[in-house]
Amino acid sequence: MAASSSAPRGPQDSTITQVKSPVAAHPITSAAIAVLITASILGTLIVPIYARITPKIGDWPFFYFYLIAYIPVAAIILWVVALLQRRLQQPADGGDGAAR
Amino acid sequence: MSHVNATTFTIVVILFLFVTFIGFAAAHWRRADDMMHLNEWGLGGRGFGTFITWFLLGGDLYTAYTFIAVPALVFGAGSIGFFAVSYTIMAFPVAFIFLPRLWSICRVHNYVTPADFIRGRYGSRGMSLAMAFTGILALMPYIALQLVGIQSVLTVMGVGTSSNNTFIQDLPLVIAFLVLAIFTYVSGLRAPAAISFVKDTLIYVFVLVAVFYIPTRLGGWGHIFGTAQHHFTSINPETHKPYGTFIPTQHAVGSTQLDFASLALGSAMALFLYPHIVTGALASKRRKYIKRNMSLLPAYSILLGLIALFGYMAITDPVTAANVKKSGNAQLAVPYLFQHMFPPWFAGIAFAGIIIGALVPAAIMAIAAANLFTRNIFKEFFKPDASPVLETKMSQWASLVVKIGALLFAIELPHTFSINLQLLGGVWILQVFPMLVGGLYTRWFHRWALLAGWLAGMLYGTIAAYNVKNATTSHWASSSDIVFGHTVYIGLTALVINAVVATLLTLVFKATKAPEGTDETLPHQYTADPEDLPAPAPAGVGLGTAAD
Repeated sequence: MAASSSAPRGPQDSTITQVKSPVAAHPITSAAIAVLITASILGTLIVPIYARITPKIGDWPFFYFYLIAYIPVAAIILWVVALLQRRLQQPADGGDGAAR
Repeated sequence: MSHVNATTFTIVVILFLFVTFIGFAAAHWRRADDMMHLNEWGLGGRGFGTFITWFLLGGDLYTAYTFIAVPALVFGAGSIGFFAVSYTIMAFPVAFIFLPRLWSICRVHNYVTPADFIRGRYGSRGMSLAMAFTGILALMPYIALQLVGIQSVLTVMGVGTSSNNTFIQDLPLVIAFLVLAIFTYVSGLRAPAAISFVKDTLIYVFVLVAVFYIPTRLGGWGHIFGTAQHHFTSINPETHKPYGTFIPTQHAVGSTQLDFASLALGSAMALFLYPHIVTGALASKRRKYIKRNMSLLPAYSILLGLIALFGYMAITDPVTAANVKKSGNAQLAVPYLFQHMFPPWFAGIAFAGIIIGALVPAAIMAIAAANLFTRNIFKEFFKPDASPVLETKMSQWASLVVKIGALLFAIELPHTFSINLQLLGGVWILQVFPMLVGGLYTRWFHRWALLAGWLAGMLYGTIAAYNVKNATTSHWASSSDIVFGHTVYIGLTALVINAVVATLLTLVFKATKAPEGTDETLPHQYTADPEDLPAPAPAGVGLGTAAD
């Protein structure tokens, strides 16, 4: 995979299983996961982005259209995150990697 | 029962009998050799796949009360009711972060309840008792509210209301609930899992039909939104303020954007802490099924968004609006809307969907509360050597007691009381966030500090909610109050206090070297995905003999 087998050591060397931290092994994938999950939350948490009547989509005020349309978007983001996490599971060193 | 529509009534009764049959038959579904074990009765064998988990969690998360209360809030106050849509969007990314870890650790250690995990993680009976207590406390009014949902449908159907005898009035509700209690006793979690297929099919059908059909009767979406906007910007002569808000505002009129966002975030964080949701998640067979469901379950959120719009449809339809006004109960908005808009047979399907939609989560909640009582109170404090058979029997009986308690709750107390308690339930359950979700990631927090933080959050939340008043009520008026000049969800404020207390006291306890307690979990177990259940923990005595 993308990350090399000489990726830096995981932070917890003392863990019983000696599993290399998947986060350390795949830094870019891990960062992408964090960004995607945060974005999916912020997209509805920051109310000012969508608390408006215009532009209307058909007869629907923007606020209501946005909330409903955002649901599948957030679902797809989580689906992508789950796929990315599967990449994390593929260990860079060929050992038995742990998820996440 | 003079005003009862025979067609509607017959369809509701037939569908109810159908799910009763399924509820009892479910005892034989995916049957295990030894049913007298909490993994079987209380978690359906811990073997549900993606598909069943989707139906079970969907039936669990989106309760009949949601279908009644969210549009009622939209009907009464406008856009603030849509916080529910925002919160069901956020709930899944939030749960995606911690729920797989909770599943893994509970699977590896055979934990049945979230309090089992806390006991194992911190080695603290006090904390596991706090978790069990909070869980049961938050669940009781929630179950009662499912009954309130059933009652609002029965009221609009005219069942029982024509009699002045309170016994006769409540009889249909009592019957429905006794049936529920008995099949839960017999089949355990398998019953709501099987029934949720029927429930969700009915609900998807009636919501989609309603969303496409009702606007054609009411002059289109433009007219619906226009009427709602006009209504919520006009001034209520009694309070001299607008009736509500059509779009969350930045000014201090009605609901503000901060109120909207904090309610949504707090509820999203609380949702997957509820013991009945944890129960539904733990019944899943694999870790990946949980993750997959985090992107599949939002399908129900779309449904919820459409259901919320029923509130605006009820405002637009003059007959429904007049009926609701006459009854003085906004909870009746959706049932009245369906009764007026749909032909009797289809109204019957919709009403049956709501009633069955109450039974599924009520059953899971009762099971979750019963498991908490059995594992973390009865076994922990009274009978440490209880066998799996005794545990299961205890849970079965506890589920009956919980349901009868909820029934009395719903019949005896005024409805606004149970609604307030349910709002408080959200505030309460959020206070286990540091110990439960925090504990999934770190043992840095000291167990006594977490307990103190929990207590501080519970006290602040309860007192703050008690003191909220508005024009019509002096207490429990809403679940938001004013902090530093902003209206914020009480649960979130209480959680901040909780976390601050826990952090500060952790520093103190660490400095004084207070005992940390033993941790029986290991780091890699939080990401494990064992295919097979671990062997049941040896309980010492009285292992059940396998029948058949």
